[in-house]
Amino acid sequence: MSGKVAAVAREVQVSEEGLERVRTLLKEKYHPRDHEEAQELILMACQDIQHILGWVSPEAARLVGEHFGTTENRVFGLLTFYADFRTQPPGNHFMLLCHGTACYVGGSQRLIDELRDNYGVGDHETTADGELTVQIVNGCLGVCDIAPVIHLDHVYHGDLDVPTFRQTIEEAKRRGPAGGHHEAH
Amino acid sequence: MKLTSRADFDTLVRNVTAAWDEMNDGSRWVISVGISECSIAKGATDTFEHLRLKLEDSGLRYVLRRVGCGGWCWAEPFVVVSGPNHPPILYGPVDAERAPDLVAAMQRGLPLADLAVGTVGDEAIGPIRPLLEHPFFSRQKRVLTEDWGVIDPTSIDDYIARGGYSSWAKVLFDMSPDEVIEEMKTANIRGRGGAGFPAGIKWERARKSRGAPKYVAVNSHEGEPNVYKDRRLIESNPHLVLEGILIACYAVGANRGYNYVGGEHVMALDRFKQAVEQAIEYGLVGENILGSGFDVEVRVRAGGGAYICGEGSALMYSVMGERGQPRTKPPRSVDEGLWRRPTMLNNTESIANTALVIRNGGEWYANLGTEKSKGTKLFTMQGPLKRLGVVEMEMGVNLKDLIFDVYGGMKDGYRFKGVQTGGVSAGALVEAQLDVPVDFDSLTPLGGMLGSGGFVIFDQSVCPVDFARYLQEFNRYESCSKCTPCRLGNPALVEIINRIRNGNGRPEDLDLIDRTSKHVIELSLCGLGQVAPMPLLGMIKAFREEFVEHINGVCRHGTCPMTARQPMAIAADG
Repeated sequence: MSGKVAAVAREVQVSEEGLERVRTLLKEKYHPRDHEEAQELILMACQDIQHILGWVSPEAARLVGEHFGTTENRVFGLLTFYADFRTQPPGNHFMLLCHGTACYVGGSQRLIDELRDNYGVGDHETTADGELTVQIVNGCLGVCDIAPVIHLDHVYHGDLDVPTFRQTIEEAKRRGPAGGHHEAH
Repeated sequence: MKLTSRADFDTLVRNVTAAWDEMNDGSRWVISVGISECSIAKGATDTFEHLRLKLEDSGLRYVLRRVGCGGWCWAEPFVVVSGPNHPPILYGPVDAERAPDLVAAMQRGLPLADLAVGTVGDEAIGPIRPLLEHPFFSRQKRVLTEDWGVIDPTSIDDYIARGGYSSWAKVLFDMSPDEVIEEMKTANIRGRGGAGFPAGIKWERARKSRGAPKYVAVNSHEGEPNVYKDRRLIESNPHLVLEGILIACYAVGANRGYNYVGGEHVMALDRFKQAVEQAIEYGLVGENILGSGFDVEVRVRAGGGAYICGEGSALMYSVMGERGQPRTKPPRSVDEGLWRRPTMLNNTESIANTALVIRNGGEWYANLGTEKSKGTKLFTMQGPLKRLGVVEMEMGVNLKDLIFDVYGGMKDGYRFKGVQTGGVSAGALVEAQLDVPVDFDSLTPLGGMLGSGGFVIFDQSVCPVDFARYLQEFNRYESCSKCTPCRLGNPALVEIINRIRNGNGRPEDLDLIDRTSKHVIELSLCGLGQVAPMPLLGMIKAFREEFVEHINGVCRHGTCPMTARQPMAIAADG
């Protein structure tokens, strides 16, 4: 990619088929026995939905609210508090970039700078061409011995410097859109 | 198969032990591949597949199995091979290309010396020495991790064959809840989450707490960077954690236990859920367990990636489907926790010790470690070191030995500069301070902390000012924003440190940091807010000279932005 591109939020709706999968998931997997248990299951259900859709859309949040006897607002309040959740659809490729202490010492800041300068994306953003969504993991992916490490389209890549980082992204793009769901990590 | 009596359980133990012994009777090759989140990152799945394909055509009599993590990240992907006249040998790293060599060696009936790390046991084979002579292993005391890399974490039978759930049966039939608590008090385990509160006393308080029903909750949420011991513990031996939860429920009189696992720890979450299902199937979890009349339910709950949810009250809110924000205490959670009912919260590592304490006795446990810090501790140490991974040491190990002996010291070409202790909640130590025992009390006077056992070594190329900025930025980002001192104090500190980094520092800035930090430390609501400025203060304490240099416009590492700035620009926003 050449030059800078601004990250933009895209207006996308989940297809009726996607929502149907969410309805099925809730109906088949979540049977709270009482109100307390229902509340306990909201976050788990949102995780599952993100596994299926790659994000949690407002419509999906409404379905969660209806299923567990709470409001869409409440569900959305959780989605925006917890860093794992995405309330925008991810791009064709999804990257978790670990910025834990070991990765920092190994130079993860340089990778973050590279994304900002040459791909025009930061945390929880998608490139303007819709190719790459980045989530910076402030905690830790827990594979510190190959720091700095990323998790791109479900695969770990470690011991990165800026050239190998670039190469990894470009190779993923050449392979085309990652299939299946975007794992919430 | 549901077990309904202790006799049923004893029969099961005999059967699975016989199966385990048969597998290891030396008549077949047993090939165990470590499959956990960390080894998958290094291609263990490919190694497994290549081994599977090669073994199918090998004509050998064999069992190919998956085991958990062993803690030796530096030797991953790893394979343990034992066979006819061939004691178990640990091989690693074995990438997919080397898998055929390993199978060919088995066909010849010989070990493969160039891939071997060592033999499991006391016997050397040719040039392959016992693992126990290896510096990474020789000083470890593997109690919690004894079965890591040995049992298949997805098999309850493996766990039972290695003595698992015997403690659960023992407490149900042979011990009163008070006796269990007495044993825990004898063991004197201090909470492994970082605070170091004695578990036995916590259990006793929970038992005495009025109100019903009661709950037990386990904090398996590791939001702290560079700490992944609990994840590996669950991935490698989930039943050990589950058995601990069950024993705790019995001891405090709770009929429900929770395990709160970070939603981002997918494999740990899956393996723990599976463990619970298996235990339900055997009737070890559920109603009238083994006919004892005791009921217990175990719920697994996932978080969503928020560091703050490691704080007790925030964790409870998160389990209840709320934003994870701490509340004022009292009431403590042992009186009013989940759903405002008495809830006893333990760390994963503490609870995992429980089954071992019951199995071997509190005295046994209390003989490990130091006078005030009993037992063993899991450590994760990272940075440019020769060997990385999780180790289990007795409390009181010398920090210098840990870094330079167990972890092998600095990689070639790197020079030690400091070690960040206590995750993101304490200060760094410099080389002159390393001759110190690692336990709950010895690091604190130096400005460090044991915390959850995560240490990061940094080398001479790392600028302490920038590192301090990183740590402070972490704590700012993870502030839940509920209380003002933390919400506003931490960004203010980031601003000051950024100013220094950018070459616009003022002579009074270090004092300003001190004063601002004091506000955050004294006035924040929760334990995490109260330690948020600690790493920054610790870094200043350890490397004050370099902070002063930055204020005078020099970054000796050349990594801080000031080095690229023009004097004009400095004047403009100073």
